[in-house]
Amino acid sequence: MIRYYYYHIFYVGMMNIMVLVPYVLISHRFDGAVSSFPLAIACGTLYSFVTSSVFQRFPGLGLPEIYKLFFPVWLANCLNIIGVVIWSSAGIIVLFSYSNTIGIFFDPEASSYLNLGIMAIASLWAATRSSRSVQFAHEVLLVVSSPIVLWILSKALFSDWLDWDAIRLVAGAGIRKPPSMACFFAASFVFSGHMNITLFNRLHPPDLKFRFRWMIPIVGTFFLLVSFFVPIGFHGTQAVGNYLYVWSVTTDSLMMKYGFIQRVLYLFLLLYTFLSLLFVMNTWHTGMEFLKACFKRYKPLTDEVNVPAVNWWICSFWVVVTFVYAYYTNDLLNRVVAEMWLITHFIVESILVFMLLAFWYMKKKGRMRRSEASLAPQGGGS
Amino acid sequence: MIEAIQDQLGNPSDFTAETMDNGYAKMQICFFPGMCDMDQLKDAVIVPFSYRFDPDEFRRMLHTSVAFMKDVPANHLADYLLKGYVILGYEGEVFVFRAIRRMQTAPDQTQVEASLQGPQSAFTENLDLNLTLVRTLYNVPDLSVENYEPGNLSKSKIVLLYDRTKCNDATLKEVRKRLENLDHGLLLSAGQLAKHLSQAKYRLFPITQLTERPDRLSMHINKGKLAVLMDGSRFAILLPVHFFDFMYAMDDHYEPSWMSNFMLGLRYISMLLTLTLPALYISIVSYNPEVFRVQLAFTIDGSRAAVPYPSFIEVLLMLFMIEVLIEASLRLPRAVGSTAATVGGLILGQAAQQAGLVSSVMIIVTSVVAISNFVIPNTTFSYFIRILKYGFVAVAVFAGLVGVVVALFMMVVYLCNMRSFGEPYFALFQSKARVAGSKNR
Repeated sequence: MIRYYYYHIFYVGMMNIMVLVPYVLISHRFDGAVSSFPLAIACGTLYSFVTSSVFQRFPGLGLPEIYKLFFPVWLANCLNIIGVVIWSSAGIIVLFSYSNTIGIFFDPEASSYLNLGIMAIASLWAATRSSRSVQFAHEVLLVVSSPIVLWILSKALFSDWLDWDAIRLVAGAGIRKPPSMACFFAASFVFSGHMNITLFNRLHPPDLKFRFRWMIPIVGTFFLLVSFFVPIGFHGTQAVGNYLYVWSVTTDSLMMKYGFIQRVLYLFLLLYTFLSLLFVMNTWHTGMEFLKACFKRYKPLTDEVNVPAVNWWICSFWVVVTFVYAYYTNDLLNRVVAEMWLITHFIVESILVFMLLAFWYMKKKGRMRRSEASLAPQGGGS
Repeated sequence: MIEAIQDQLGNPSDFTAETMDNGYAKMQICFFPGMCDMDQLKDAVIVPFSYRFDPDEFRRMLHTSVAFMKDVPANHLADYLLKGYVILGYEGEVFVFRAIRRMQTAPDQTQVEASLQGPQSAFTENLDLNLTLVRTLYNVPDLSVENYEPGNLSKSKIVLLYDRTKCNDATLKEVRKRLENLDHGLLLSAGQLAKHLSQAKYRLFPITQLTERPDRLSMHINKGKLAVLMDGSRFAILLPVHFFDFMYAMDDHYEPSWMSNFMLGLRYISMLLTLTLPALYISIVSYNPEVFRVQLAFTIDGSRAAVPYPSFIEVLLMLFMIEVLIEASLRLPRAVGSTAATVGGLILGQAAQQAGLVSSVMIIVTSVVAISNFVIPNTTFSYFIRILKYGFVAVAVFAGLVGVVVALFMMVVYLCNMRSFGEPYFALFQSKARVAGSKNR
């Protein structure tokens, strides 16, 4: 069961491309991007260790249940709402930026709302499923697509066209600058796969041990360095700053000699369709469950047979918000929003980590308002 | 007695009801000659009553032999008669004697799930023989057999098989409930029963598996699952099943594992091809020809030069042709079937392309789709895949390549959301996870 935890770590590492992390990092490549990496790696690893350790002390409970253990209902609900906003907005940003990417590279003639609409419907439908189904789907798609993503990355890393001098230059120049805050926030997103445990801990069996945690810094560092340095190596230190969807352009520099498809870009985009939909599915699902936890009558279920109508209502609301967002923004505005989201995300994450430490302490002292068993989610439903 | 039964049955002409008199005693006998085993009846009843008649011995035989049932309620007599039992009235008592005519005494040959080197025997349409086949292969005392007789018109006996020590109680309870609540006009085949058991009518994938192979059934039961056999059907229903079960041919368990793994990979690739190839053709030709390398894109476009309409019409045309051809060769008598296939093959292969109705690439696509579909070992499953590909075609017509990928995503989510009698239908690495999951609940 521990593998489900690492799936999240892994795919958030790959997904950083779609939340415009490389763009933020690259725009600061000469003033403090590189020097913020060690900080981000240390911080992200620490946070992952803290969250996993704390959630191990609360087996089978999601974050909303833990809030209810220690806080009065109104405070728990407020905190849940913050979670809802953070999670669902992540899905909305990714949905918008990915459908735009598709529009630019795949069919520029089609209405941008068509792509958005298709993907929104798919995400709506996927996010309304039960938590266990979401977990299964996550696993299947990740197992299928990550080998190919890794293959593309290794193809890029070993390509003759990758200019290591440019990478060395940026790394050498950047490391001497003081770290930039924006870059620190952006880079630590790569490590934030552990945050998905806040909901999916509900599915973890009581005897779960978080082994192999040494993998977290390795996986995160790998994806962070790759997603920052490979585009620089391909486009050069200056030209790399010209692109918004920098990774799509980078994979377009790669070529497959044999096979039906020549341009790696298309393979890459199709794979990232899966990954983006996965991301939206996960974030919307988490946001939905957090929102549902605010209702008094709500009983957390992880494997309900019939999808309750409220799931549809909540996720449909997000689809509507996505369309409204798409109507009023464009790529440039979305970039600013994504940057703001990255900052907020980090702040919320930090507060959460400190709260979790406090929960850990309070549990040791036995200061719980309710019993753990009364809040534990049930498997099936009617 | 005879009059009462004749009244109830409406005195059909294939019914025999007589009073036999051997000079010492009288016996009433009624039965359907067509449904009874006459040899058995002669040996067990007629001979002791006529040539070797001894009143004491005959009375003792009727009362002690396990073959004769006494004290059957009068309103059930007609039911027994209709199943092929013989009803005897002797000295004011009524006995029911089991002399059902067996059509089959030997196992069938496998017809649908052929195997090269595995066992060749298949289930028959006789329930008792089928149970014997299962018992010989799965020879353990833990095998439980439960009888069900639904209150419907055909009243075919239904049997639930499972391994007491291994099976999952929740699933067992659920299946029992569904079998008890079964009442449907005419229940004629296991496929129909499977449809009723799985309840939801418009599911995109089957959650029960039909098999004619006793070895597959034994293996399934050994995994702690259930099986349902039905009298009069040479297919057993296996449940709950996983998506991956449908892709196994039994040969995979009997052949070297390199070969079987290779074949398994081949089947998954074929399934993906038959599902998406027409859709990909449409989206490549009509939306994104630049995805393919330039030479290939030119080849495809060149072969389409004579075709006057958009690609999706071409695809629908050819898919229609191939479906009709498959259906025709399935329904036609064997002798005519080959003719239909030849004529259809000629049209599909050459003429359609030369006439400029379809491109030559489309012909390759069509044949790959058809052949890949036959690679799927399970018939029901391949039917579902055959239908599902039209969903992909529809998406491709309106949304192109991205639509196909999104539809694939939705299919995966749909599969992951399915439960076969409470068990996850499409989840990887389940053997360990299931144990952990059940502990969790």
